[in-house]
Amino acid sequence: MKTTVKPALPWSVASRIAWREVHASRAKFFFVVLSVAIGVAALTGVRGFSESFQQTLLTEARTIMAADLSARMFRQPSAEEDKRLNDLSTKGIERTTVTEMVTMAWLPENPQPLLISLKAVDPTQYPFYGSAVLEPSASLKSVLTDSSVVVVDDLLVRLHTSIGKTLRIGSRDFRIAAVLVREPDRMSATMSLGPRVMITRAGLANTGLLQAGSRSGERFLFKLPPTASSIAQVRKQVEQILPDAQVTDFRESNPALTQGLERSTGLLSLICLVAMVLGATGVGMAMRAHLQQRIDVLAIMKSLGARSSDILRIYLFQTLLLGLAGGVLGVIAGMGVEWIFPMVLGKLLPMRPPLHIPFRSVLAGLGTGVLTTLLFCLPPLLDIRNVRPSLVLRRTVDGGGGEARLSLWQRFKNSRAEGVATGIVLLGLAGIASALSDSIVIGKWFAIGLATALIVLLALASVTLRALRLILSRTRLQLPSALRHGLANLYRPGNQSAAVLAALGTGVMLILTVFLMQKSVIQDMKLSASPSTPNVFLIDISTQELDGVRSLLAKQVGVRGQLETLPLVSGRITAVDGVPTDQLKLANFPKRMLQSVALTWADKEPDGVKVLTGKWWNHGPVDSLAVSEHSAQRLHLKVGSHLTLVSGERTLMLQVGAIFKSDGQHVYGRSEFILQPRDLVGLPVVWYGAAHVDGPKVSAMQRSLFAAYPTVTVINIADVLDTIQGFVGQINGVIRFLAGFSMLSGVIILASSVASTRFRRIREVVVLKTLGARRGHIVKVFSTEFLVLGLLAGGVGAIFANLLTRILLHKLEVVYHVDWRSGLVAILLTAVLAVGTGWIASFHILGQKPLEILREE
Amino acid sequence: MIEVRGLKKSIRNGTRTVEILKGIDLVVPAGEFIAIMGASGSGKSTLLGLLAGLDTPTEGQVLLDGTEISHLAEDELAQVRGRKIGFVFQSYQLIPTLTALENVLLPHELNSSGDGLERSRNLLRSVGLGDRMHHYPVQLSGGEQQRVALARAFVVEPPIVMADEPTGNLDSTNGEHVLSLLLDRNRETATTLVLVTHDPAIADRADRRIVLRDGLILSDDRRVNHSNEDHR
Repeated sequence: MKTTVKPALPWSVASRIAWREVHASRAKFFFVVLSVAIGVAALTGVRGFSESFQQTLLTEARTIMAADLSARMFRQPSAEEDKRLNDLSTKGIERTTVTEMVTMAWLPENPQPLLISLKAVDPTQYPFYGSAVLEPSASLKSVLTDSSVVVVDDLLVRLHTSIGKTLRIGSRDFRIAAVLVREPDRMSATMSLGPRVMITRAGLANTGLLQAGSRSGERFLFKLPPTASSIAQVRKQVEQILPDAQVTDFRESNPALTQGLERSTGLLSLICLVAMVLGATGVGMAMRAHLQQRIDVLAIMKSLGARSSDILRIYLFQTLLLGLAGGVLGVIAGMGVEWIFPMVLGKLLPMRPPLHIPFRSVLAGLGTGVLTTLLFCLPPLLDIRNVRPSLVLRRTVDGGGGEARLSLWQRFKNSRAEGVATGIVLLGLAGIASALSDSIVIGKWFAIGLATALIVLLALASVTLRALRLILSRTRLQLPSALRHGLANLYRPGNQSAAVLAALGTGVMLILTVFLMQKSVIQDMKLSASPSTPNVFLIDISTQELDGVRSLLAKQVGVRGQLETLPLVSGRITAVDGVPTDQLKLANFPKRMLQSVALTWADKEPDGVKVLTGKWWNHGPVDSLAVSEHSAQRLHLKVGSHLTLVSGERTLMLQVGAIFKSDGQHVYGRSEFILQPRDLVGLPVVWYGAAHVDGPKVSAMQRSLFAAYPTVTVINIADVLDTIQGFVGQINGVIRFLAGFSMLSGVIILASSVASTRFRRIREVVVLKTLGARRGHIVKVFSTEFLVLGLLAGGVGAIFANLLTRILLHKLEVVYHVDWRSGLVAILLTAVLAVGTGWIASFHILGQKPLEILREE
Repeated sequence: MIEVRGLKKSIRNGTRTVEILKGIDLVVPAGEFIAIMGASGSGKSTLLGLLAGLDTPTEGQVLLDGTEISHLAEDELAQVRGRKIGFVFQSYQLIPTLTALENVLLPHELNSSGDGLERSRNLLRSVGLGDRMHHYPVQLSGGEQQRVALARAFVVEPPIVMADEPTGNLDSTNGEHVLSLLLDRNRETATTLVLVTHDPAIADRADRRIVLRDGLILSDDRRVNHSNEDHR
C-alpha cells in the first residue's frame, strides 16, 4: 500500500491561527509582552544608561590625569621623535608638554632661597580635562602669562609674601598672580619636594634653568578626539615613538577610580542580566500557563489530524510574534529610560541624554528579546508533543491528569527532548550572558552560577515540597480547615509548585544577589575611600623631626587619626636577575628612574597594601623584598627574581618575595620597593607622612607646621580626594538605583507567575462558594498558599543568593560577610509580595459567580 | 419548600442580550423529587443555579422556606447554600488537593460547628468508599468521585439536594448506583431533590417532571398516586 506523506501546515495558515489566538486573548498576552518588554527595556535602557554613566565616570578619570594619555621622560624629545609626535596631530590628537623640575625661588628683597617644585605648562592647552582652580577665581589662561606665576598657599606662608608680590626664579622675576588651589593632575605628577609654582613654558625658558643635563622631567599630555581609534592603539603608537617614556592612560590614573569602574561595570552587567533572565522566566511561565489552558484546543486539533509539528508551527509563530512585540515595546521603553534617567538624575550626575538613536543596542535588544523568548518557551512548546488527542473524549479532573503525579526526575527521564531543550536554554543563556557582559568573568560565572543554581533550586524546591507534604500527611486532620486546604493547594494536580517555587526562588536569588553585591562592593569602596583617608602628605621629615611632627599633628585641630609615616632610603638598582641595568632591555621605562629609587621597609603588610603573589616575608637564605605591581611589570620582575640594589656604600642582593598592589589611599601606596627593616638599618632616612586634615583646617596646620619645621613640605590633595569620593558616591547612587529597577522587574514577574495559575483558582473558588464558603474563608485558603510559597521561595532564594554572592565577590576580590538581616527581610518581603501580588492577580476571582461552573458543564 | 415567582434571567453576549429564562413560576414542596428536563440551551442549568442562589435573577424571586434569597448579599447567600443545599455536579467538582475524607468534611467545616469527622467517615462508608477515604480525587474512578461528591452533598444534612446531570459522566452501573443513593436520601430523610437530567428513564422515577423549552415551562407533570417504592 502506498502511503503519502501529509504536507506540513502552511506557514500562512499557522500564522493566521496564531494571530487570531493572540487577538482573542489580548489581555492574557499583555503579560507575556510585558515580561519580554521589561527584559529588553533593561537591556537597552539600563545598559545604555550605564554605558553613558561610565562614559561620564571615565571623563572624571581623565581629569585626574588632565589628559587621555601621558608620556613621561627625562629628556627632550629628539627632532625625529618630535616630528612623529606632531604627525599624531594630523589624526586630531592634541598634545601639550608639561615640564617639571625642582629648583630654588626667593623674594628679591630677601635672598633666603626656598626649594620649589616648578611646573611649566602651556595655559592655552593645559589642562585638557578638568581645570586649575585659582584664588581669586580666574582661568589659568587669563592669569598665567610669561611674566607671572601661580603658587600654592604654602609658598606664601613660607616666604611671608602675598599675591601681587614678585618671586625670583633663576634669573627672572615673576609676579605672583594667584594662589593655585587645585591642580587636576596633582596626583599623577611627581611627588616632589617643595611647594608648587606654575609657570608658562616661555617663562621657564626665560629663567635659563632649562639647560642640557638639567634634572627636569617632561610629561607629554595627549587628548584624543571623540572619533579617535581606541586609547590602547594610540598608546601603542606613543610607546613606539618614545620607547624610553613611561606611558600611562587615564584608566590607570587612580586605583580607587579604576577599581570602582571595573566593579561598577561588572555589577551593572549583572543587573542587566538579572532583568533579562527575570523577564524571560516570566515569558516561559506565562507561555506554559497559556498552553495548559489551550490543552483542549490542542487535543481537538490533534484529533482532527494535526501533527505535533503543525501545532508547534502555530505556537512557534505566536512566540515569535510575542517576542517581537515585547522587543519593540521594550526598546521604546528602554530608549525612554535612557533619555529620562539623565534628566531626572541631572542634578546628581553631570550626564546628558544620548543625541542619537543607538541602532546597535536597539538591534541587540530586539534580537535578545526574541531569542530569550524562544529559548524560554522551548520547554513548554515541546510539551505539545505530550498532549493526547483522547483528552477530547475524557477530561480529567484538572487538566493535569495522571502526568502531574510523576516525580520531576521521572518526568525528566521520560522526556529526553525536554532535557535537550533545557540544555539548549542553558547554553543559549550562557551565550547571551557572555555576549552581553562587559566583564567576561562576571558573564561566565553568572551563566554557570545560574545554571547550577537552577538545577539545585529545582531539586531543593522539590525536596522541600515533599518534606512539607510528609508533615502535612501526618498532621492534616488536626490543622484548621483553611490552613490545611491552603497547604494542600501547593500540591494541586497539574500545579507545578516545584517549578513555580524554583522560578520565584531564582527571582529572589538574583535580586538579593544584586542587593548583597552592591552592598558589599559599596561597603568596600567606602572603606577604601573613607573620610579618614589621608588627604595631606608631608614630605622630607628627618628622623629627628619625626616625633615632633607627630605630636604637633596630634595636637592640631581637624587632624583625624594618626600620622601615617613612610621611611624612605634613597637607592639605585644596579642589576636585575644578574643583568646590569645598562644592559637591560626595558620598554617604556626611563632607565634614569633606576638611578634613583625610593626604598622603604616594613616588617608586616602595611595598610593599603595587598599582596597579589608571593608572601610577606619568605624567610630564606636571601633577604626578600616586596615590589609594587606597577614596578614589577615594568622591570619584568616575578616572585623569585633577583634584584641588586645599592644604597650609600651598601650593596643589597635581594630576591622578590611578594608583588603587591596599593589602594593609592595610604602613605605606603606611594612606595615601590619595600624591604625587610634589617637591610636598611643605619642608612640615611627621610620620612614621608600622611594624615587626614579637615579641609578648612589644612591652612592652619600648614602654618603651625611651617613655624616649627620649616623644611617639611606639605602637599594638599584634599580636593583631588574629594573628586574621587564624589565619584565613588556617584557609582554607589547609580548602582543602587539600577538594582532597584531590577527589583521592580522582579515584582512584575512574580505577579505574572501567580497570575498564570489563575484559571485553576477560578474553578476552585466557584466550587468552594457553591459549598457555602464565604469570601473570608477563600481569602484564608489562598493567602496561606501564597504565603507558604513566598516563604519557601524566599528561603531557598536567600540561601542561594548568599552562595552566589560569595562566589562573585571572591572573583571581585571583595570580602563577603553573611548578611542575616537582609536574608530575613528578603524572605519576609517575598512572602508579603507573594500574598500581595497573588491577590492582585486573583482579585476578580473572588467575585466569580458560581453559576459559571454550571454553564461549563 | 422552594418557591419561584416570575423568574427571568438574561445575559449579555457582546452587544446582544440573550433571554435564558423568560418567566418561571414554580413551587417545590419539601421532600419532593422533581426532575427538570429540556434540550440543550433550554435554561435547565440556569434555573437550577438560580434555585440554589448561585446567581441573581434579572427579574423575579426565589424563596427557600419563605426566605427570599434572590437579593441576599454574597456571604449571606453562601451561608444559606451551605446550610440548606447540597450540590452534586456532572463532573464531580471535587477539590483536587484534598483527600476524599477532606472533601466530604469541607462543607461541614465551612457551615457547621462540632466534629464532622465521624459523620464524614460514616457517609463515605455508606457510599461504599470506606477504604478510599485518604485517596485523592485523581486516584479515584469517575463513579467513586461522584459518590464522594454525594457524601459531600449530604454531610451537613441539607433539606435540599440539587443535582446537575449527576450520572451524565458515568457508565450505567455507576450511574444507577449514584441515582439510588440520591433516591434513598430523598426517601429516608425527606430531602427535597431537584435533579436536572436528559435521561427520560431517570425523570420517570421523579415525583414530578418539568420540561423547559426556550426559557419557559413547557410541561409540569406530577405523577398521580406516585410512590418512590414503585420504581425501586
